[in-house]
Amino acid sequence: MFGLKTKKQGEFGRHWQGTLSDYVMAIAYSPDGKTIAASSAAGEVVLCQGAGALSVTVLQESDGRSVDCLAFSQDGQFLAVGGQNGQVKIWQLQSGAFELVRILENTPAWVDRLAWSPTQNLLAFSLGKYVQVWDAALGEIATTLNFETSSALDITWHPDGKRLTVGGYQGVKIWTADDWDDDPYLLTIPSASVAIAWSPDGKYIASGNLDRTITVLEWENPHPWVMRGFPGKIRQLAWSDVFNKAGTPILASSSAEGIVVWEKQEDETLGWESRVLAGHEATIQSVQFQPNSCLLASASADGWVCLWQKAKRQTQVLNGAPSGFSCLSWQPQGHQLAAGGQNGELLIWSKSVRGQGFG
Amino acid sequence: MVTADIPSSVPVTLLTGYLGAGKTTLLNRILTHEHGKKVAVIVNEFGDVGIDHQLIINADEEIFEMNNGCICCTVRGDLIRIIGNLMKRRDKFDHLVIETTGLADPAPVIQTFFMDEDVQAQTNLDSVVTVVDAKHIWQHWEAEEAQEQIAFADVVLLNKTDLVTPEELDELERRIRGMNALAKIYRTRNAELEMDALLGIGAFDLNRALEIDPEFLNETAHQHDETVGSVAIVESGELDGNKLNEWLGQLLQNQGPDIFRMKGILTIAGEDQRFVFQGVHMLFDGRADRPWKPGETRKNELVFIGRNLNEAQLREDFRACLV
Repeated sequence: MFGLKTKKQGEFGRHWQGTLSDYVMAIAYSPDGKTIAASSAAGEVVLCQGAGALSVTVLQESDGRSVDCLAFSQDGQFLAVGGQNGQVKIWQLQSGAFELVRILENTPAWVDRLAWSPTQNLLAFSLGKYVQVWDAALGEIATTLNFETSSALDITWHPDGKRLTVGGYQGVKIWTADDWDDDPYLLTIPSASVAIAWSPDGKYIASGNLDRTITVLEWENPHPWVMRGFPGKIRQLAWSDVFNKAGTPILASSSAEGIVVWEKQEDETLGWESRVLAGHEATIQSVQFQPNSCLLASASADGWVCLWQKAKRQTQVLNGAPSGFSCLSWQPQGHQLAAGGQNGELLIWSKSVRGQGFG
Repeated sequence: MVTADIPSSVPVTLLTGYLGAGKTTLLNRILTHEHGKKVAVIVNEFGDVGIDHQLIINADEEIFEMNNGCICCTVRGDLIRIIGNLMKRRDKFDHLVIETTGLADPAPVIQTFFMDEDVQAQTNLDSVVTVVDAKHIWQHWEAEEAQEQIAFADVVLLNKTDLVTPEELDELERRIRGMNALAKIYRTRNAELEMDALLGIGAFDLNRALEIDPEFLNETAHQHDETVGSVAIVESGELDGNKLNEWLGQLLQNQGPDIFRMKGILTIAGEDQRFVFQGVHMLFDGRADRPWKPGETRKNELVFIGRNLNEAQLREDFRACLV
C-alpha cells in the first residue's frame, strides 16, 4: 500500500544511519538538537554528534543488561540513563564532553522510567513502587515517593516543573515539587495507567490505560473524559504543541496497530472527536508530534515510520528497520527525526538536505 | 516488507508451592538441566537460588483487577511489565520460569498469559508445577492458597517423601487426586524428577490429549474432604451444539469464579471433528480439533476442577445436552 515513491519538496530524507548490537530501547535529542543519545537492550549507551556523517561516542559498552530509559536535562548539561542493573548513571557536560559524574545504585530494582524536570535539574526515576527524585545541584536524593498500589508504570512532569506525575495501578498520582510530603492528587483509573502525558500548555493531562481506555482530565475540572473503543491497551500518548480551532492541543494515541487522534470541538457540548489513522500493520511503538507543528510521526513494529500531515493524512513513509522500529524522537528544533529499530538500527532523517550523508 | 519469520514463542513454567516445600531446589535443578540454554527466572521471594544466574529478576507480586474485580480479568501487573521488558532483546531466552510465593493465587498468573496482548503473543504457558511438602502440607491444608495451588496444577511433586510413612503418602496422594483429577503426581525426594516429566508438557495446548487419571475414574465414589475437588464426566453419545453452548455459557457465567480449570473432548452431533476445550475461571478456549479417526470410539470426556462443585448437577446438565 505504500507504493508511491515520488519525492516532494519538504520531505524527509535519510541523513545518517548507525547500529547498536540489540533492540534500541530509547533515543533522545539534547535540547540544542546537536547530540542524540541512544541505548540498547544489550546495555550500550552511545552519543551521536556532528553534521553530515555523525561521529559516535560510546559512553557504555554492552553487558547484556538492558538500558531502558535515557534523557537529557533541560539545560543539556546532564544525561541520565537507567536500566535492568538498577543503576542510574549520570553524565555531565564538561569542557565539551560528557563525563560520568554519578552512579546511583539500586539493585535489585529495574529502573525502566526516568524523567528530568522541564525547569530544573531534578531527575525522577522509578524504583519498583517508589519514585526517587535526584537533585543535580545538591548531588543528592531530594525525595522518595511511594506510589503504593503498584510499580511506577510511567513518570512525567507538568510543563511548569511544579508537579510530578506518576501512573500505575488504579490511577495517576500528582505530587507537588514545592512540598513533596504533601499528599498527591489522585486521578482515579479503574485499571492501570501505563502512559501519561500533559498537554504542553499544562491544561490537560491524559492517561492511557491497560483496560483500553484513555482518561483526559482538564486541570481543576473534577470530571474527566473517558475515551473507549481501542483495539488493545494504550501504549503511548502525544500532544501537539500547537492548538486547533478550539484552542486546544491535539492528542494522538496508539493502541495495537492503530492511531487515534482526538480533537476537542469548538462546541463544548460535542466534547472530543476522534479519527483513526490507518496504515500500520503491526504494533505502534511510538507516536510524537513535530515541535511547533501538527505533523505526527509514528514508528511501528511493521518496519515503517509514517508521517501524518496535520495528524490526518499520511504524507511520507520511511523505512530502514526491516524487523521493526522500536522508538522515535523529533529533534527539538523539528528539522530532524531519529528512530531506533528492533535489531539495533539507528536512523536519522532530515528535511530537504539533498545529497548529504548517504554514504 | 513485514518479515515473514514469526518470532518464536517462549515456553513458561510456573512454579508454585509453600515456602520450604522445595521450589528453589526444583528451580536449581531446572537451571542445571537447561545448562547452555538461556533461562530467565522471575522470583517473587528471594529464596536461595543457588546458581549464580544473570537472568534472575526479582518482582513484587502486583495484582491488577482490570474490570470491576471480575475474577478472570485479574492479572499480574509485575509480570506484564517484566516480561515486556525482557522480550525486547533480540537474543531472547529459551525458557522462562516464574516462581511465586507460597501465598500466591495461581489464577492471576495464568490469566496474564491469556489476557495481556504482548505476553500472549510472545510466550506460551507450558505448565503449572506445584511442589507439596509431604510432611508439612497437613498444617496448611485449610489454607485457600494451598488448595488453589494444587487445584491449578498440571504437575504435582509430593516432595520430602522420606519424611513421612508410605501410608501417609498414599493418603496424601488420594486427597490430592480427589482435588485435581488431571495433574500428574510424582513422589520425590529433594525434588528429584526427570526433566521430561516437567518441561515441554504443553498443558495449555489444546492439541495435547486429555489425560484423566484412570484411578480417579475407577473410584466409584469420591470422598471430598475439601471444598476444592474434581468432577470428571466420561460418556458416549452425541451432543447438541446449541444446547452445549448455552450450558457452558451459563455455567461459566454463574460458577466461573468457582471453576478453576476445565478441560474436555466432545462429540458434537453432525460434526466429524472432535471438539476440544479448556478454561481457567471464565476464560474459555474451545475449537474443532482433528477429525475422529475411522473406527475410533467417539466419546465425551470433561473434567472440572473447582470449589463447591455440584457433581450431580453437572452430570445432569451435561446429559441434557445429549441429542
